[in-house]
This record gives sequence, structure tokens and C-alpha cells, in this order.
Amino acid sequence: MAEVATQTPRYIEAINAALSSEMAADDRVVLLGVDVAAGGGVYGVTRGLYDEFGPRRVIDTPIAEAGVLGAAVGAAMAGLRPVAEIMYMDFLTVCLDPIVNQAAKLRYMTGGGVSVPIVFRTQTGAGRSAGAQHSQSLEGILAHVPGLHVYCPSDARDAHDLLIEAIRLDTPVCFIENRRLYGKRSDEWDRTPLPAGQARVVRSGEDVTVVTWGRMVLETLQALDQVGDEVSAELIDLRTLVPLDVETLIASVQRTGRCLIVHEAVTRYGPGAELLARIAEAALFDLDGPIRRFGALPTPIPYSPELEAAAMPGVAGIAQAVREVAKG
Amino acid sequence: MNAPAQITMPRLSDSMEEGTLLRWIKRDGDAVTVGEELAEIESDKATVIYEAQAAGVLSTAIEEGATVAVGTVIGWLGNALLARQLHSVPGRAAGRRKASPVARRIAATHGIDLELIDGTGPDGRVVRADVELRLSAPEPAPVLGVRGEVTVHPLTRLQTLVAERMSRSRDEVPDFELRVRVDAEPLSSVREQLKAGHAVDVPSVNDFVVKAAARALREQPSANATYRGDAWERYARVNVGVAVAVEGGLIVPTVFDADGKSLGEISRETRELAARAREGRITPQDLDGATFTVSNLGMFGIDGFSAVISPGQAAILAVGAAAVVPVVRDGAVVPGRQFELALSCDHRVIYGADAARLLSRIRDLLEHPMTLLVA
Repeated sequence: MAEVATQTPRYIEAINAALSSEMAADDRVVLLGVDVAAGGGVYGVTRGLYDEFGPRRVIDTPIAEAGVLGAAVGAAMAGLRPVAEIMYMDFLTVCLDPIVNQAAKLRYMTGGGVSVPIVFRTQTGAGRSAGAQHSQSLEGILAHVPGLHVYCPSDARDAHDLLIEAIRLDTPVCFIENRRLYGKRSDEWDRTPLPAGQARVVRSGEDVTVVTWGRMVLETLQALDQVGDEVSAELIDLRTLVPLDVETLIASVQRTGRCLIVHEAVTRYGPGAELLARIAEAALFDLDGPIRRFGALPTPIPYSPELEAAAMPGVAGIAQAVREVAKG
Repeated sequence: MNAPAQITMPRLSDSMEEGTLLRWIKRDGDAVTVGEELAEIESDKATVIYEAQAAGVLSTAIEEGATVAVGTVIGWLGNALLARQLHSVPGRAAGRRKASPVARRIAATHGIDLELIDGTGPDGRVVRADVELRLSAPEPAPVLGVRGEVTVHPLTRLQTLVAERMSRSRDEVPDFELRVRVDAEPLSSVREQLKAGHAVDVPSVNDFVVKAAARALREQPSANATYRGDAWERYARVNVGVAVAVEGGLIVPTVFDADGKSLGEISRETRELAARAREGRITPQDLDGATFTVSNLGMFGIDGFSAVISPGQAAILAVGAAAVVPVVRDGAVVPGRQFELALSCDHRVIYGADAARLLSRIRDLLEHPMTLLVA
């Protein structure tokens, strides 16, 4: 048999494969969302699943997110394990009630009488002129709500593993993909899968801990390459904001004494503030300089490519921040 | 609002180049009025209480123990807020050493004084690397040789000064020494009479020695002088320094114009100076200007000793303890009381015969103490 150069799956293919395998293994798993069925999803994430599992398990819905998610909550209470897609993370705002007030709370309010095993799949990813209403990173809002898990895979390996874990979990999970990662293949597809709630040390270092998640992991890696030997930075991919692996983070900061938090979300009142506070609470007396957050400017994300780039954390800015934190 | 008044390191003596702020008597933020005691400052000659020259809220610029050049701003008196704005000393925030939390913790764990560490972080902040560098520096390890454990005691400014001056004297001054024994009986007798007459502050033996030396120097001014390389400097005033042992050192306050002062005056002044010296309240003016020194170890029962000449003077007189000794009087050996005087002289100024005349005259005066009482 001829040697065939096998390529590792792209991020998008890894998600598709996880959905497919979970649906094959458990017929309670159903997909629903706008254009997820015959259309295969606006970005093609669910391509082929309609053909494979049919219209009863891959359901197209009207553009009515609150209704879609309400249906998902009901289905979950009735015993299914829905994976509901919210096409853009920005659209969360029109359907927060089923997530925040229903899915996140029903198990608690029924004394464990019902569980709500939903995966709310959504995607973010500014930087392609998608406009202010299609470019937000709102994971902080979700992570703030007790009863929700928040996963933010940064590569195909994690997208695959975390999605499978999310589907199997009885707790509602917000699964945040990044459309700019969809085409990326993981360099480390062969690495051992990690569970949710366990951060991954992407690169070891001694001088500065850089903590991030999602697409900013890639961006930060490039920034660290740019910084080179100037600063020995440790890069931590949190992978999941809830549950949060505080231990890995603190242990790293205790060693380096310095920390930079990078995220695509707006810095002001962003998830970095929570991380900074957690570090300060646990490791103040290990700090050698101020902890710094580096995220998007407090502005609606501009449509203009130049302005959008200026508003977002990018490679050069992260590299600069790493240098400053190392010396600060 | 008035701008805050600067407090600068004062020049406390002619030779003072820098001073050490030993202690802030007032604290940062204290309201101070003119004339209130502000700080204790050590110069090359003395420890002085420095008083506020202006009123206002004190804002300190240097820490206790810091040594700075004369004229350096050591604090401000005035409006606190303005003072703080002026008060931008690198590495220091609101009077506290700037240090990162981890640097602070490591320093505390190892008992390292952050003040002793140079901060390399932004604005002079002490960071972990600075503390670790200090930790990795070879510790002056306690040497456990044949002399047992060695501890190191850095010299105070006073001790440094004494060491420096004594070394200079031994290096430069070709000294010789003359000794005489003085009959102590007449002196004892006079002192007994004064005591019997309930005189206050009966002059001590040392006071008589100071007076006698001053009188002799007045009569023989060539010894009231200093060698200056190509000339002798002779001084119009006879100012006698009286060596006083203080904790951790030796200081020599001056009895000015001792030749013209009565024994009572010399006695009172010497007691006052010695007390101030021991309490650390001596001023540089008290220590300046001696032309001759008397050093007395008689109170320790020392028979006699040779003293080291102070640079800038030509001689020093060492006084031993009065002791009962056999003396020959009228052809018979009888008990008598004597004490020893040793005069160390700078041969560049005083020659042997002059020195002999001077010391003999001092003995003569002490053995006829009434002459010291009448003038």
C-alpha cells in the first residue's frame, strides 16, 4: 500500500468529527440551529451531519435564537442532549434568558430533579471586518454566571476533546469556537487529551507568565517568537474559563513573579480582571512587578481593517507587553 | 500656600564634608515648630541635635542611617502635599523603600535590610533579582579559626575619625616622651581644705593639671603651636582639650582660654562638657580649636602612660593615678603620694630642653597649687 501523507484535521474538521462520533454513540445527541442542517452551517462546521443522521437529529431553526435555545432547554429536560448553535457570539444577547435563567439554574432549582445537558456552541473571532455586531468576545459574561461551564479551545486537539467532554457533561456548557481558527491544523494533534479544568503549559519559561485562551494562544506564540531570547516567557492556555485551573496559573506566577493576561475580549471589566484578582489573592507576595492585562480597547470593534487592528490585541502589541511586563 | 522649606544637611564644623542622619526625632508628617528638635546628626566630630529652622509639617527625604553630603536635601518643612510632590526620590514611595512584594518577602525571610539593596527595577524598585543577588553574594562567613568566631563591627564615623587621626599622628609625628613624678600631697591638701570649707564643685586633680598646663603654655608659647611643613603656627589662645571616654569612642571637648579661667570655671566647664559628650549632645564647636590635650587615666588606677599626639597640636600630657609611694624626706623614707605626668611632644615643634622646661613648670605649679588658685 502506497504511503499516504496524512494531515491532521483542521479545527473545523475536529469539531465536526466530535459531533459525528458523539451522535453516532448516543442518539440523544441532537443538533439545532440556523442553517446547521442541509446547509452544513454558515462556516461548514456541521457539514455532512444532516446526511448522516437525518432531519430528526440535525434540525434547522428559524432565525429566533431565544426560541431555539428555549427549545434546547426543553429538549434537555425531556432527556435529549442538544447541541445548539448560536451563529455569532454577539447574538447571545438576544437569547441570554434560556442560558442564564433557565439552563444555568434549573438543576439547582429542581434540587437535582432535572439536568440540562446542553452545549451552546458559538463562535467569535474579530479581525476580519465583520463589524461591531459580529466581533465581540463575551465569554466573561458567561463565565460570570454560576451553573455554566465555559470552554474556549485554542486548537483542533482541544476543540475535539473539549467538545466531546462538553456533550457528555450534564452541566450546560458554552463552547466558544473561533472562526479564525477553523482552518488551522493542530501541530500537536498527537498530544494526550486533557480534561476541562486543566490548563496547558504551551511553552515553559522563567521570566513572565503569559496566560491566554482561544485564538490569542496562537497570536501570543508568534509574539513570543518575536521576543525571542530577550524574555523567557511561560505561555499558559487556560482552555476552559469555567472550570478554571487556578493552580497551574498560580504555580507558574509564583515561579516567574510576573504575569501578562492576554485576551481578545475588551480589557475593561473583562475576564482578565478576574484572573488578575485571583493571582493577586493567591500570590501577591510572589509578585515582582505589576500584573498586566492586554485585551481589546473599550470600543465597539471597528469595521475598518486598520482601526480594527488597532483596537485588537495583536502580535506586535503582545510582544511589546511581554517585554514591558518582564521589566516592569 | 507657602512652598515647603528645604532642610539640608548642615555643615557642623569646618572640616565636615558629609553627615549621617542618625535618627529622626520628628517623624514624617509631624507638625514641627521653630526650634523643636528635628533630628540627630553625626558629623565627623560629633553627634548633634539639629533643630527646626522653620515651622511646618515634616517630610523626610532620607532614611535614618543615611550619610549624605553637606547641603543635600534631607527633608522639607511645610505643606505636606507640596512636600510630597517635591519628594521624588527614586526607589522610594511615601518614605517607604519601593520593593516588589516578592522582593520584600524574600528579604524579610532572610533578614535582609531592603535599604541596603540597590533597586534595579523601574524607578529604583527593588525586585527579586536584586535581593537574590544580595543573597548569592558571599556572606562574610563567620571564621571559626583559632580565634573563634569572628564578628565584624563597622566603624562609626567617630571611630573612623579616631583611627584616621591616630594613624596620621603615628605616621607623621616624630614624637618623644618625658616623664616626671609629681608630689600629690600639696594638691590633696588644697583639695581637702576646699572640701572642708564646703566649696561647691571642688576642682579635680585633672582640673588642676589642665590649669597648670595652660599656665605653663602661656609662659612658654613655643609649645602652643603646630608644625606646618615650612613654618610653626603659634596660637594666641591656650585652649586645652580634655579627652573623655564615651561609649564606642573617645572625644576631646575643649576648655577655651584655660590659662585665663579660674579652677572653678575650668572644673564646671569640664564637667558640663564631659556630661554632654557622654549624652551625645556635644556640638562641633565644643570639639574644635584645642591647642594642647590632657588625657587622664588616673581614675582607672593606671600609673602612667604615653598618649598619642592629636594632629594639629604639638604635645599631649598623660596623667596617671596618685599612688602611695615611699619617698625620702629629710633623710628618711616615709610614705608619700605621687602621680606621674608623661608629656609626648612633636619634635618638629618642641625640642627636648623646651619640653623639659614645660613639664618641669607644670610639675612645679602642681606641687604649689596655691599659685594656681590665685590667678
